[in-house]
Amino acid sequence: MFRVMLYSQWKWSRLIVLMGSVAGFALPLVSVHGAARADSSPLQAPELLHAVQSWGVLYPVLAATLGLLVAIASWTPDHRGRHVYALVLPVPRWRYVLLRFGAGALLLAAPITAVLLGALLATMSAAIPAGLQGYPVALAVRFALAVLVAFAVFFAVSAGTARTAGIVLALIGGVILVQVIANVARVDLDLVGKLQLVVLNWPGPLAIFTGRWMLIDV
Amino acid sequence: MCRKRWVLLVLGLSCARGLTGQDLPRLQARADSLAREWRHATAVADAIDSLERARVFVGHDTIRVGALTIVTNASPLPLREAAARVWPLIDSVYGDDARQLEERPYVIVPVDPDTSVERPPWHNGTEIPWDQDVTSLTLLLLSTVPIAPADTALQGWLGGPVRPLIHADLERADVYVRLVTAPSEASRRCLIGDIGACRDALDLFVRGDRVARWYPSARERRSLLKTFTPYYFDRGVQQPMLRACAEGSDSACTELLRSLPPGALPRPLSYDARATLLSDALRLGGRAAYHRLVASAGLPIADRLAAAGGMAIDSLLARWRAEILAARPVPVSLPPRGIWIALGWTILFAFCGLRSSRWRVS
Repeated sequence: MFRVMLYSQWKWSRLIVLMGSVAGFALPLVSVHGAARADSSPLQAPELLHAVQSWGVLYPVLAATLGLLVAIASWTPDHRGRHVYALVLPVPRWRYVLLRFGAGALLLAAPITAVLLGALLATMSAAIPAGLQGYPVALAVRFALAVLVAFAVFFAVSAGTARTAGIVLALIGGVILVQVIANVARVDLDLVGKLQLVVLNWPGPLAIFTGRWMLIDV
Repeated sequence: MCRKRWVLLVLGLSCARGLTGQDLPRLQARADSLAREWRHATAVADAIDSLERARVFVGHDTIRVGALTIVTNASPLPLREAAARVWPLIDSVYGDDARQLEERPYVIVPVDPDTSVERPPWHNGTEIPWDQDVTSLTLLLLSTVPIAPADTALQGWLGGPVRPLIHADLERADVYVRLVTAPSEASRRCLIGDIGACRDALDLFVRGDRVARWYPSARERRSLLKTFTPYYFDRGVQQPMLRACAEGSDSACTELLRSLPPGALPRPLSYDARATLLSDALRLGGRAAYHRLVASAGLPIADRLAAAGGMAIDSLLARWRAEILAARPVPVSLPPRGIWIALGWTILFAFCGLRSSRWRVS
């Protein structure tokens, strides 16, 4: 059954997976292109670090985009068919959702592998100056975790009802409203800042996306 | 009529001469009076200062940790805790010379953190809001050690006063990054292991052209002018030379860099690099190291560091380099438990998906 589910999800999201894989393979290569050639110049190290850091911003963006699109693609046909197909299957719902999740996560292995291969190729082909080192495996592991977290978040949102989404949005809106009222009333309350710290700092759920994504570093 | 005019003229001239003759003594008298007033005002000001100093030192708390002395008045400031943290660091840098602090106390005036409250009009010392915590107090005490300042040659080389390293590991890590990324061949050769290059990068050579030692290649010189000093030269007669340099003339770049005043040429390494080297010398040289360093004023800095450290300068540089390499910063900003935390969030969100109510019959 998993194979059937994987095949159907592959059909729905193959364009996303293929494009994501191409982007993931190209990103590490592009980030070292031009800055690391055999005719190494005296200013290469700062230029290389600057280029790698600038392009590094795109890794979390790509991870979040892939997670979002594959999660949406996993559920769109079910939503469109009003879940009739799923309801006629002789499986409990938890198992059906688990199969969907597993198939989506497996499909995401392709862009993750592409990032790993691209990063390995980039670090091998670049003339890395003394004092700097390539971290292709660490970068690929981090990318994999970011893709999985993004996929899980959007998968849960997508699997939920409009009511659930409404509750989540109402909670976020409530926090913003309280913050605005506190600012107007000049009350010393930084709810948004604290929430941001909780979400974006370790061990927050989105902390994996923050920080420097460096293929080559000191 | 004409005779009258002549008489008036003669009288006028004589009066004028008389006035001039009277002005000098009068001005002299005024100047003397002013000097008297000045001396009097100075005496009054000195008296006020001495009374204030006496007021500060009498009837106030004196905190002593080792030789470190803090004169202050009663407040919630955690000065004793801060002093206990600071003293070992000060002692490790200044060694026996830290005893000076018995005679050179910190004078701290705790003030109300509410800026609308009126401050005491007369006082000697550093005003600190009494709500400061131990960490910020520690940093403040470390950055204002009231020890006799080192000679100007040492401070000029260092690029600031001699002070204990506050976050030694972080500062060494910064030096590592600077060694890797500085646009200077000297710093990169130092990183690879060329101790002579370390001496160049740390500005420890006595003779020689700094431009050639620090920035030997044409590209480095051009980049330096583009990055650090473009506005300095972008006027007057040097403007065409700057343009020629930007277009690729190395002789123009070199000439412009050599025309910079002494000390204005950007050094390859920062204050932290020299401060860590000095810190190593003082640590390795024992308790008398700082005294030897200060006592050897007049000698080249390399010789002074060697004297302080009690070893040859190349050995000292080799040890410094090894410590900098050991302090290489952690490159990937994923904490050790980051993998498990991210997997945990993935499982949690997947579980949220399993608990969806979409199939529930309402």
